[in-house]
Amino acid sequence: MTENAQPAGAGPSYRSVEIGTALAMLLFAAITIYGALRVGINWGAEGPRAGFFPFYVAVLIALSSLYNLARVFMEGASGLFAEWSQLRQVMAVIIPTTAYVFLIPWIGLYVASIILIAVFMKWLGRYGWSMVAAVSVGVMVATYLMFEKWFLVPLPKGPIEDMLGL
Amino acid sequence: MEEITNLFHGFATVLQPFNILVMMVGLLLGVIIGVLPGLGGANGVAILLPLTFSMTPTSAIIMLSCIYWGALFGGAITSVLFNIPGEPWSVATTFDGHPMARKGKAGEALTAAFTSSFVGALFAVIVITLVAPLVAKFALQFGPAEKFAVYFLAFCSFVGMSKEPPSKTVASMMIGFALGAVGLDQMTGQLRLTFGVSELLTGFDFLIAVIGLFGIGEILLTMEEGLSFRGGHANINPKVVFQTWKELIRFWPTSLRSCVIGCWMGITPAGATPASFMSYGIAKRVSRNGHKFGTGEIEGVVAPETAAHAAGTSALLPMLALGVPGSPTAAVLLGGLLIWGLQPGPLLFMEQKEFVW
Repeated sequence: MTENAQPAGAGPSYRSVEIGTALAMLLFAAITIYGALRVGINWGAEGPRAGFFPFYVAVLIALSSLYNLARVFMEGASGLFAEWSQLRQVMAVIIPTTAYVFLIPWIGLYVASIILIAVFMKWLGRYGWSMVAAVSVGVMVATYLMFEKWFLVPLPKGPIEDMLGL
Repeated sequence: MEEITNLFHGFATVLQPFNILVMMVGLLLGVIIGVLPGLGGANGVAILLPLTFSMTPTSAIIMLSCIYWGALFGGAITSVLFNIPGEPWSVATTFDGHPMARKGKAGEALTAAFTSSFVGALFAVIVITLVAPLVAKFALQFGPAEKFAVYFLAFCSFVGMSKEPPSKTVASMMIGFALGAVGLDQMTGQLRLTFGVSELLTGFDFLIAVIGLFGIGEILLTMEEGLSFRGGHANINPKVVFQTWKELIRFWPTSLRSCVIGCWMGITPAGATPASFMSYGIAKRVSRNGHKFGTGEIEGVVAPETAAHAAGTSALLPMLALGVPGSPTAAVLLGGLLIWGLQPGPLLFMEQKEFVW
């Protein structure tokens, strides 16, 4: 990871991130246990029922997370996880990408990708508009040709492609 | 011997024109992927896996293996020149490779890297060839209890070799199991953990998990650490290559030792990364120039690269013979095999001999 010899920036500490991750894992374990209980966790007619295995897996997750949580409180403070500026950069990638994923069912893969590439190039890369347009449209046209025509693999499309008759 | 005949039959298949083309394309793509920071061997293979759907399984695995190899070498390029390890196992190469580049000896470092990777991989291929059928025959006697034991050993070794405290490793592994349990249960035919979401009927796809975890994770990591390139220039001309080769012959004990370490760590579920570190560490202690490691000793490049490539190649052995991947990239290759409907494991040797060889 990054070597921050100087405590220059501020940011979330390892402790908070560890606690957060442990709690998230506990939540995951709880959901899994609930799901497992719905299908039954005991021994059925011809062997373990469907929920048997996930139940014990989730129990292990819960126990490990509780242990991690305990360790965090036993150890002292231990430095920064990341600076806020670094996290901002990471968020600058995560949030558009997540939005992209949710947009795909509505407007299709190609249009969403054009938007995503354009956003990244303009915002993070600070390229000129002509470069942005050329690359984003060019890449998607190339992808379309590669997947639809060459590999014959249809990718999710949206209303704009319907209008263009693709 | 039957194995040698099959091996030559395999070579003949490889030398068909389409397959040679596929090899070239695969190597080129692999080196590009290895050089690009944020994309490594496992990601590259995962992302390019769908490209191979239209090919026959044999050509596809040739392409994927070449991508894998190209990526292994691409990682060395960035380690030496930019001090950015392209993949985890190239980290040990940066210890001596980058100082060499800064001293102006980048050409030699790169030559040493690709020569040692070739040697390591060749050694591993020979080991696989000779040992694989034996392992396969032995593995045919495996029943469910033995298979469980093998997997249990693999997972325990993950826990043992991880730097993180065991509770974290166990938690992560169990999360993986839980995610794998989503969907239709094969034994009872019931749907579990889908909570009424119809897309989850078939569970979480392996490819999605790999791209999400490896691909996006690495990109985010790169974003977090800032994209800064401090480059070193390299001139490779044939004279430098020959000079380096002469020097490298001096280091054959290191090479041999690293090959053995690499093969062992590749066959057991360890992978190329621990192999490269272990080989570097042992070479540092055992060699005469050990105290100079870290300032640009060529031996410090030979050791990790040989081991990493030997491990990477021999990781294919447990994958093909037992169905247990020996490294993350082998895991992705395993996924690819499953997608084509081939069941890795001892049966692969019996039923799909042409493919294996």
